[in-house]
Amino acid sequence: MGGMTTTAVTATPVVGFEQVTKSYGSVRAVDGLSLVLRPGETVALLGPNGAGKSTTLDLLLGLKQADTGKVEVFGTSPRGAIVAGRVGAMLQSGGLMDEVTVGELVKLACDLHPKPYKVADVIARAGIAQIADRKVNKLSGGQAQRVRFALATAGDSDLIVLDEPTTGMDVSARQAFWATMREQADQGRTVLFATHYLEEADAIADRVLVLHRGRLLADGTSAEIKAKAGARRIAFDLDGEIDEAPIRSLPFLTSVTVSNSGSAAGSGHTIRIQSTDADATVHALYGLGVYPRNLEVAGLGLEQAFVAITEAEEAKQSC
Amino acid sequence: MLSTFASRGLIKLELTRALRNRKFLFFSVIYPSVIFLLVSNQTGTVDGTGLSIAKYVMVSMASFGALTAVLMGNSERIAKERENGWVRQLRLTPLPGRGYVLAKTAGAAVVSLPSIVVVFIVAAVLKDVRLDAWQWLALTGAIWAGSLVFAALGVAIGYLASGDAVRPITMIVYFGLSILGGLWFPSTTFPTWLQDIAKWLPTHAYAALGQAIEQSQSPHAKDVTLLVVYFALFAGGAAWLYRKDTLKA
Repeated sequence: MGGMTTTAVTATPVVGFEQVTKSYGSVRAVDGLSLVLRPGETVALLGPNGAGKSTTLDLLLGLKQADTGKVEVFGTSPRGAIVAGRVGAMLQSGGLMDEVTVGELVKLACDLHPKPYKVADVIARAGIAQIADRKVNKLSGGQAQRVRFALATAGDSDLIVLDEPTTGMDVSARQAFWATMREQADQGRTVLFATHYLEEADAIADRVLVLHRGRLLADGTSAEIKAKAGARRIAFDLDGEIDEAPIRSLPFLTSVTVSNSGSAAGSGHTIRIQSTDADATVHALYGLGVYPRNLEVAGLGLEQAFVAITEAEEAKQSC
Repeated sequence: MLSTFASRGLIKLELTRALRNRKFLFFSVIYPSVIFLLVSNQTGTVDGTGLSIAKYVMVSMASFGALTAVLMGNSERIAKERENGWVRQLRLTPLPGRGYVLAKTAGAAVVSLPSIVVVFIVAAVLKDVRLDAWQWLALTGAIWAGSLVFAALGVAIGYLASGDAVRPITMIVYFGLSILGGLWFPSTTFPTWLQDIAKWLPTHAYAALGQAIEQSQSPHAKDVTLLVVYFALFAGGAAWLYRKDTLKA
């Protein structure tokens, strides 16, 4: 897979959105969205509730039609790609057929797929062998998610779309699920998943798309997203009365908070800074001639980065 | 065709499920025969038809059983599967949209056939109803084929109503059509004004198909035309509602 970047450039995009807009009444769920997914990528779609994730997936899967713009999957319409068996998908809103067994339902999914796998293999891979004889309407939330996953991977699809796939699973089930998912990705498939568990996006995705109010706020590796938010946190204490102005004018800052540290001396302060270049900021800090104690420099988690990015956008919109 | 092949898996599963549902099988297969036995005890003929009461009720109950099988199950199930998202999930597969409706109709048809045949067997064995071989075959074929009209109606209701509304709507349509169409009591017992309405109902034309065959006649052109018009109406309505639902989903 060493030549992945070169193939990625030349191959037809897996998914292409071109200036796509979708409104419900006066609400713009998707607002001029353009994006391209390339073969072999594992992509996380992040966003707060109401960001337009579900609508984006619905448009991608042909369940909804764009008001304006163009949606293409493997160079054709979403429906065309599905009929050709190139897309496997599991939706949160996707129900299951009642009163049949799990095994029968998986067999149906295999029957419906143009390039099916063996039913027993699909069942084993999804880890549902021990519930294969159970009626679908008797499943727990986590088990139902696994069955949905089995339906989405019943055949040799090139793109797998997962909407909040681990909802309702406990931690160990979630880990097992992602191990299975990584196998799918390792076979060269493109995987797109929406999630609100940021640690999942951080651990699994090669690429993270941050969606906010139907628009793409950020697009890059999780490291790049973190960098965009102000990559590092710096925290330290200063004793005595302090002059905030020079601290606030340190280079590369994205935010500063000063609080009373509440020490016995009564006059200490804790300063928390976010910086896009922590080295330069710390260097300049010592240049102020102060003596910072308990200095900590730490990377920003994707979660904090995500909050920072969406909050910055909110602030921009409200003024 | 790839699409018919794809539909086959779902049709098979719908059939399995239909035959597994005991409560539903009882109501559509056994129940009409029970009513037949209760009502056919009277002797005499039904006014204006020259048919014995047993023969007349046999066709009514066979039609009623087929109506139950194709109307009751599907409307509720389609409404439910639209709500729980199974219809959405199926749209993520290569199954063509009409494949779902086709599978539902096939599932109903496989239950409606025994409900017709069981009434016939009960009538022949327990009530000595005698007809020519061609009449038995023609009756089975006509009543089975005619049930498609109501299968289309069931699909239309399934796409029209949702949630708590679907059951009462189905019940009203089901009992309204059964009673007013003369499946329970001959419509000749109705007051004239009601008879004038009843003769335009699809269930009236449906039962009349079978009665004509029992009278050794071919079905009346008026009844066949009426059923064809209703079928076009229900199937067209179902297709329109289906498309509307697809855009909304």
